[in-house]
Amino acid sequence: MTRVGRALCLAELRERTRDRWVLVISILFALLASAVSLYGRSASSAAGSLTGPSLVTLASLFVPLVALALGYDAIVGERERNTLGLLLSLPVSRSEVVLAKFVGRGLALTIAVLVGLGAAMLLAGEGESQTLASLIGPTLLLGWAFVSIGMLVSTVAPRQSIATSLVVVLWFLLVFFYDLGLLGLLVATDGEIPQGTVQALVLANPAGLYRLQLVESLSGTQALSDLGLTSSLPGWQTVGLLWTAWILGPLSLSALVLSRGKAFR
Amino acid sequence: MKRLELHDISVRFGRLAALERLDLALEAGKVLLLAGPNGAGKSTLIRVLLGLVIPTQGRLRVDDQEVRVERKLKEQIGYLPESVAFADALTGREVLGFFADARGVARPRIAAALERVGLTHAADRAVRGYSRGMRQRLGLAVSILHTPALLVLDEPTGGLDQDGLTILWSVLEEWRGAGRLVLMASHEIALLETRVDEVCLLSGGRAVARGTPHELRGRVPLPLRVRLALEPRESAAIVSRLRDDWKDAPLTLQGDDVEVVVARARLLSLLELHREHPGAIRDLRVMEPPFDEVYRSLLEGMVREGTEAPR
Repeated sequence: MTRVGRALCLAELRERTRDRWVLVISILFALLASAVSLYGRSASSAAGSLTGPSLVTLASLFVPLVALALGYDAIVGERERNTLGLLLSLPVSRSEVVLAKFVGRGLALTIAVLVGLGAAMLLAGEGESQTLASLIGPTLLLGWAFVSIGMLVSTVAPRQSIATSLVVVLWFLLVFFYDLGLLGLLVATDGEIPQGTVQALVLANPAGLYRLQLVESLSGTQALSDLGLTSSLPGWQTVGLLWTAWILGPLSLSALVLSRGKAFR
Repeated sequence: MKRLELHDISVRFGRLAALERLDLALEAGKVLLLAGPNGAGKSTLIRVLLGLVIPTQGRLRVDDQEVRVERKLKEQIGYLPESVAFADALTGREVLGFFADARGVARPRIAAALERVGLTHAADRAVRGYSRGMRQRLGLAVSILHTPALLVLDEPTGGLDQDGLTILWSVLEEWRGAGRLVLMASHEIALLETRVDEVCLLSGGRAVARGTPHELRGRVPLPLRVRLALEPRESAAIVSRLRDDWKDAPLTLQGDDVEVVVARARLLSLLELHREHPGAIRDLRVMEPPFDEVYRSLLEGMVREGTEAPR
């Protein structure tokens, strides 16, 4: 990364860690994660073993929200403040601007996730900490994917208010309604859809990919069967490729849209 | 950088021609003002210079060398966008800190830039608490932080109070004195008339008039406004004479003073009046029309003719 990219990355990190929405959602996530962890510690051993899955559910709701709040104004915010031209007048390529903004915002998300899961780990009972530590990697991947999606929205949205509406819709769509839609599809077809297709549809959503990956990792393939999925997750290479696609795909599209110059008509 | 030239620059957005075969030269030690109505192509021209828009055709030359707007040229440009707002959560010092790091400027220069634009007292306050004028000053500090060879200012007077304007004038003087280049785009042409060396008037993506403010005034012989302070006992006679001689000239009475709008050619006839009525005219003030009237008149004339004005 060039001098401009490094400076932008740090400025983004500094600015984002002061964003009130990001702070509020991150603190709420940390408090709820701590509460889940405390409950798991004080409850019976059976309930204690549910700390990990409960945190997965919590993270799959909150982390995309924090990530979208971090990403949605990356480009459109600069455009509305009349600083996009100023930024791009610096000796830096547009792709690097997108990358630097992503890294800065991704770091802010990393801090939020580490604080939230770190607090849960500190309060967890013996033996649980290691399980919770295994959540960190996939949770960060989930967050970075949603930061990337948020940044794509911020690149194509003509106004910040539209970007806000779009990310709220996306959050509901990907985090809540997608699974409900799949369930509806299964019910409507009386389960006639092939298992491979169902699995592909679940994995086509980063929130679904996260949940499946961690359900299998925390509870084993039997848990997937309990969910109605007879086939296990594809290998780690495929999962890694899917995460790479979810992180780099929207980011590359953002760079492409910004580089086509239509930001300045 | 001593000279920057744009040759035959055209920019098209689909079927819309934002700039058409434009030629423009910026010279060291001179301030060039781009003026023109909304949609004339001022912003597009600035974006071409900053590398934000790639021209459909045309060339850019710096000191007789053909160049592209890339890293090396961008290092030499300072830019103040119109109505700039910056990130709310950062302080003025942090905003400048980012641009200092990005430009490779030593940190002590930040304090000097803040001092230069009169923002030292607010340097550690979040930008969200800044007024429009303070943001504009901060933008000016950003644009001059790395002492660029070419300063590009888009509507730089927006939101500035008298102190802010004084700072802007001093920056223009410094850049002119140091033999650097300045390009400004503004609608405040009356305010800037005495601060610029050359004006380029754009309309419909074309340069319709170009020259020093004095030359442009000469091209449009607008009538002058003349105010005469008269001796009370002579005022009736003078007014009557003016009404007889200059039937078509608008005349306004204000007590013993009279204001009349006359063509330049008729100005000397006032001397005859003075000779015929010695002592009747106590004071005489000739006021040039404001520069924005010259601008409007030039623009209307060019649009009517549909041609580019000769240089």
